[in-house]
Amino acid sequence: MRPALEIDDVAVYYDKRRALEGVTLTVERGEIVTLLGANGAGKSTTLRAVSGLVRAARGRIVYEGRDISHAPADAIVAAGVGHVPEGREIFGEFTVLENLLVGGHTVPRRQIGERLEEAFRLFPVLRERRLQAAGTLSGGEQQMLAIARALMPRPRLLLLDEPSLGLAPLLSREIFDVIRRINADGVSVLLVEQNARRALALATRGYVLETGRLVASGPSAGLAADPRVRRAYLGLDGARRGAAT
Amino acid sequence: MSGLATGSIYALMALSLVIIYNATRTLNFAQGEMLMISTFVGWTALQLLRAPLLVALLVAVVAAALLAWVLERTIIRHAISATHFDVLIITLGLSLMLRSAAGLLWTHDEFPFPSFFGSRPLGVGAVRVAPASLGIIGASLALMLALGALFRWTRLGRAMRAVAQNQRAARLMGISVEQVYSASWILAAAVGAVAGVLIAPVVFLSSQMGLVAINGFTAAVLGGFGSMPGAVVGGMVLGVLENLAPLYLPASIKHSVPFLVMITILIVRPGGLFGRVAPRKV
Ligand SMILES: Nc1ncnc2c1ncn2[C@@H]1O[C@H](COP(=O)(O)OP(=O)(O)OP(=O)(O)O)[C@@H](O)[C@H]1O
Ligand SMILES: [Mg+2]
Repeated sequence: MRPALEIDDVAVYYDKRRALEGVTLTVERGEIVTLLGANGAGKSTTLRAVSGLVRAARGRIVYEGRDISHAPADAIVAAGVGHVPEGREIFGEFTVLENLLVGGHTVPRRQIGERLEEAFRLFPVLRERRLQAAGTLSGGEQQMLAIARALMPRPRLLLLDEPSLGLAPLLSREIFDVIRRINADGVSVLLVEQNARRALALATRGYVLETGRLVASGPSAGLAADPRVRRAYLGLDGARRGAAT
Repeated sequence: MSGLATGSIYALMALSLVIIYNATRTLNFAQGEMLMISTFVGWTALQLLRAPLLVALLVAVVAAALLAWVLERTIIRHAISATHFDVLIITLGLSLMLRSAAGLLWTHDEFPFPSFFGSRPLGVGAVRVAPASLGIIGASLALMLALGALFRWTRLGRAMRAVAQNQRAARLMGISVEQVYSASWILAAAVGAVAGVLIAPVVFLSSQMGLVAINGFTAAVLGGFGSMPGAVVGGMVLGVLENLAPLYLPASIKHSVPFLVMITILIVRPGGLFGRVAPRKV
């Protein structure tokens, strides 16, 4: 069986500016892989290239053995890739329920009810708030909604872009728990995180990006012990958290 | 009453402009000319086939949908990735081209157009109302309710509203934004065709009738561009104001009313009555 995701020597440009240069990474089926890096390193760009929001100028992106480098974004979703974008990007004017229904845009009508039930089982708070305008939810609830919305089509590969950003420690632990549960159901995960310590604890392997290039990769334990990674990301991470509180 | 009738037509025009604007963030300056062309096509069906008026309406709607689909796919789609200015200029050019095309095909004369509704005034209590006005209001309201249901309860309608809010997120939901563009043009044109067939008996059929779109634009601004309930209310208010103004002001003011209203609203409340578009920061 081919891996869930293979990114092979991908370069991405925004106009003339290079954001990714020769990135190569793999997510095996059923695996959680984390992608680390400082601000502007190209983590979000990597996820956007996979889901078809930006185009790779070079290289190949292969999902379950299928080349999706040139597929339109809607076809990539239909093929089974879910993307929870940075900043959540929920539809603020829609109710919670409408957000989930839009998430189910590619789902056959007969299955919508069942998928809604799954979403509400995973996040009971969304059931309570289903008729509330999504823009009025708290940050944590919006993140839950963004994840639930992406899960509506039952993706087999989930791309998560900084799901714990701006959340209180307790909430962010809850989000990480949910990611573990989603993964236990057989969904492969590519996780971008600022919280490197927690991401490495969850993932089996990780990659480190620096200004568009991969500078380190390997099993989580090894990366967590790597002095460069410790200094650049774990140390920074700790210092930043210290500065923020 | 006749103010509300004209107002309904303005509301339909405003709605068709807003439908396209919400999906693509561009204005279609050719909206009025598309209305005019499709009404002419419906009229031609009346003349050539001696078809009943209802068939003419259907022909007009289908013609509008086809015209919109072709224009969107062949011209607009390729320009949409360019700046919005380019698309504005293109639709402006389209409006001129469609008007001269209509002149070539049908001349620039005015033609009478049959109405669905009789001309004998109906008595409602002590008030006498023209059935034409009542009919226009009724038909427009029915169409607006249908549109409301479409946007609220159907997958396509929800996809269109999602694209209006956040195009990138809509793509991540598996929505084909390109299909939404096409659907918006087609839907807007169909709404315009109905408005055209409703208003043609009142204003006569001519290559100039597309100018009604300007009032639709004012109505949309009045309602807060982008808001659909706003477009409806804006249209009604504009129609009534236009009808009442000559009673209190010099009669010649009637045709300036939309511009006075537009200027006033832009100064007093730039977001419109139902505005959700934040005033641009300068
Ligand atoms: N839409 C865009 N247009 C132009 N440049 C962009 C765009 N998005 C990102 N960039 C640039 O591409 C580079 C990579 O950005 P990206 O958002 O992928 O980084 P990131 O690792 O996700 O950063 P962060 O941790 O801040 O989210 C940065 O230099 C950024 O400024
Ligand atoms: Mg990012």
